[in-house]
Amino acid sequence: MSLLINLVIAAAIVGFAGYEIYKSVKRSKGGGCNACDYQCDTKEMLKQHSSKLN
Amino acid sequence: MATVALLGNPNTGKTTLFNELTDKYAYVGNWTGVTVDKKMGTLRHTKIAVVDLPGVYSLNPITKDESVAIEYLLHGDPDLILNVTNASQLKRNLLLTIELLEFGTPVIIALNMIDDLNRTNVTYDLPTLAQRLHCQLKATNARNKKGVAQLRDDLVASLTELPPAAALHITYPTLVEQGITQAAKKLAAEHGMTPDFARWLTIQFMNQNQTIRAYAQAHDLKPLLQSAPFYDAQNFENQIFTTRLTFIEDTLAAARRQNTPTSQSELTNQIDRWVTHPLLGLPIFVVIFYLMFKLSFDWIGTPLSDGLNALVSGPISHGANSLLTSLGALPFLKSLIVDGVIAGVGGVLTFMPQIFVLFACISILEDSGYMARAALVTDRLMQMIGLNGKSFIPLIIGFGCNVTGIMATRTIEQPKERLITTLISPFMSCSARLPIYSLFVAAFFARNQALVVLSIYFLGIAVALIMAKVYQLVFKVKGNSNFMIELPQYHLPRPDIILQGTWDKGKGFVKKAGTIIFAGTVLIWLLSNLSFHGPVTDIDQSFAADLGRWLLPVFAPLGVGSWEIVSALLTGIMAKEVISSSMIILFHFTGRTALVATFANLFTPLSAYALLVFILLYIPCFSTLATIKAETGSTKWTIYSAVSSFIIAYGLAFLIYQIGSLFI
Repeated sequence: MSLLINLVIAAAIVGFAGYEIYKSVKRSKGGGCNACDYQCDTKEMLKQHSSKLN
Repeated sequence: MATVALLGNPNTGKTTLFNELTDKYAYVGNWTGVTVDKKMGTLRHTKIAVVDLPGVYSLNPITKDESVAIEYLLHGDPDLILNVTNASQLKRNLLLTIELLEFGTPVIIALNMIDDLNRTNVTYDLPTLAQRLHCQLKATNARNKKGVAQLRDDLVASLTELPPAAALHITYPTLVEQGITQAAKKLAAEHGMTPDFARWLTIQFMNQNQTIRAYAQAHDLKPLLQSAPFYDAQNFENQIFTTRLTFIEDTLAAARRQNTPTSQSELTNQIDRWVTHPLLGLPIFVVIFYLMFKLSFDWIGTPLSDGLNALVSGPISHGANSLLTSLGALPFLKSLIVDGVIAGVGGVLTFMPQIFVLFACISILEDSGYMARAALVTDRLMQMIGLNGKSFIPLIIGFGCNVTGIMATRTIEQPKERLITTLISPFMSCSARLPIYSLFVAAFFARNQALVVLSIYFLGIAVALIMAKVYQLVFKVKGNSNFMIELPQYHLPRPDIILQGTWDKGKGFVKKAGTIIFAGTVLIWLLSNLSFHGPVTDIDQSFAADLGRWLLPVFAPLGVGSWEIVSALLTGIMAKEVISSSMIILFHFTGRTALVATFANLFTPLSAYALLVFILLYIPCFSTLATIKAETGSTKWTIYSAVSSFIIAYGLAFLIYQIGSLFI
């Protein structure tokens, strides 16, 4: 495995982690919950509640 | 597409029936407040939409979630209403039914939980009820699917050949009737309403339904608005209620058939005599929780977890290492994948058995009917604090996840009570904290794992209640709202509901492993392998070490003597599970067995317990803070929650360690 491939794989892992942190912060700020990805009813309600406030 | 709306009182098995009728699964719980917003599904093998609305006792909303039902009737235009009732509580259930029948949309009444009614040795003559209520009635028992297939066929048949809309007309006292007739005529003439809708709207308006009053204002319905003072002065609301109640009593008396008594109906009463006992109820509640933790930590969860840990830190870790070496991966990539991702994420996933066993226990308690009793039992305690049993529901949901717990505070009517419950919810020990408890109890309290975890949970409850009392005094809350909860008959839990409930609660943990725990793991790996001067081979030179050492003096009074622990605590803001994975990475282990052994050199049982208390109470995770912000609409309360919880956590852990050190 060449140095380049090593670097690309490491960059992909770190990049994905960075993206997940960004997504989590964004979701939390929007009143979401990163505890789970599925759209439970409480989350749906929170979304509606937030849109009403805005 | 035709639409069926499911409406009924809370705890009538509406959500179970919805799940049986439709292709979509909705979360089922056996206590008030589970359905907080409408759910959509399609009737099996058809294109008929089914809407499950939150349980309400009447169309006059008190809480936010109760307004969903009336708003839906006003704007949703369903083709058919399926009114789900608890057959053994018909007297109260029919109050809502009358409001629906007066609305004019065809109604089918499902007499659900019919087996519960049969156990009370009472039956109702359905033709008599149908004749008096002018609608179809079907007996069902959604839990064992009895009558559900027939009901589904009847719904399809009714929608294919919709019966002509015929609203129920109860004869109200003369003055009320005159008022209804006059207003309805004007509404029909001036606003083009159908006679049935105009009559229903008028009755709801007279009934002081705030949503309808707002609707009248918005549409400038002068015939109603001008007469409002007269309606209220004449106390029409009370007269309408009394007339409806008399109608229900007469109807039920005509349809009731008493059977020969059996001993089956006594079972629930006999169990309740013990579990809701004023003195024994609370100790029984504690014992049930203790058994839950015994199952999770001692009997089932930990042995399975140890097996998973051996798999992750052994074959998986070594296999990945060998594979990467054979592929020619450089040391930094091997370290990132094996020491970072596999050790961190894999390390947290090994706690899955404990978490899933705990969720399974909670699902069993919910489905058996015990949770409603637990709310009743804690209501007494809550009342001493100044809260009511309704606060218990968000708090116990907080045991799963604080975010959903805080969202569930919407079922509390009083704004101050709601705010107080929101502020104390993060003290409930969410499931994300279980991995770190598990690590420490395995290291220091191997013989009393369940007892120590139970004490942490109850300490969280105690702190929450004490803070609630403080807030009561500070906010000068006088009196509190009444708590009403229906106690369903005990059921033998149904395996498919338990499995689904467990998976619903636990799948968040699995998904989190692939997202935020993975991200936190990579972040802490980077921080432990980089410094201001670039990559480091000695972790003591890394960013993580610098940060941990800088804050170490703050944590030293709590008995923390290692910078790795401090750095790991900081990552807990992302998600509490990340604390465990960070520790595994920072101590350079591939699994938790070696980590547990290392703890023995860093902590005493006292300092370990103080740290667990700190982790229980310190700053909530980012998602919880964001939810507090969204629910309170206030940055001030969010910052307050973060700061106050840190101070409380620090203060209590400090006291435990310092005072304990005097004796141990």
